[in-house]
Amino acid sequence: MITDRTAPAESVTLTAEVENLVDSAEPDAVFRDTRECGGGLLLLGLLLISPPTPRPKTDAR
Amino acid sequence: MIADAATGVALALRGEGDPYALSRTLRQGDALALAAIRVLGADALAPYALGHRAGPGGEDESVVREALAAYPPGVAASDVSVWSYRGLIEASHAFLNGGADGWPRPPEAGAGWIGTDPWPRLSHRASQLAALALPGLAPGLAEALAARTDDLSRGFVRAVRRQDWLQAAGLGRWLARLPEVPPTLGLDGGLAFVRQMSGGDARVALHVVAARRFHGRGW
Repeated sequence: MITDRTAPAESVTLTAEVENLVDSAEPDAVFRDTRECGGGLLLLGLLLISPPTPRPKTDAR
Repeated sequence: MIADAATGVALALRGEGDPYALSRTLRQGDALALAAIRVLGADALAPYALGHRAGPGGEDESVVREALAAYPPGVAASDVSVWSYRGLIEASHAFLNGGADGWPRPPEAGAGWIGTDPWPRLSHRASQLAALALPGLAPGLAEALAARTDDLSRGFVRAVRRQDWLQAAGLGRWLARLPEVPPTLGLDGGLAFVRQMSGGDARVALHVVAARRFHGRGW
């Protein structure tokens, strides 16, 4: 006698998939707060326009 | 199959294609078709909310009964799953003209989260229940969400910025039904933007079309 052994397993899987689709987890994504972005840009700008670090002169002439 | 079914519903809501019949898109006896009905929830019957209701005892009624019997929410089911199931039963009563006999009793769905969830989580849950934003369905849920319109508006903006177009479309659809949406949100343009950016996602298109057709929001 031939028995379909996959049917109950598929049914359980499908039920679980339906539950997952009905109530799915929120996808990962990045939410950037405008104020945080502004702060980051300001810091980057200050770093770019800051004068170079003074170095000791190595000229031995 | 879910995308195909959602496309069929969106076409019907736009008045395009052949007259809608759920049982022609999703046939009886097909486990995947029944699963698609359960996932779409009340939206599977949305075209009937336009006034072209299906007659009692037809194939549409049979296929919905099968879907409800095949995928009831389990003992440990989430509130969203229970609300979605409840929405499909409510839509069946409202749009299939089949009367209340023989349908499963709508399960009690928890509503405490609507008042207590922080706004990002509330927005995620509400977006998953966007099918219940159909006119006349779930009045209690709509009333409770109306009290948190500002939080849902924040969620809409957050979803757009995260490029979570499905969540944005679902929230936009709820906001279209709610009475006091802040005009500064730009909901109409926002819905059009979401549809454009979603790259033709069928479920996003369904939410946007439903917001336009039933509530007159969006371009």
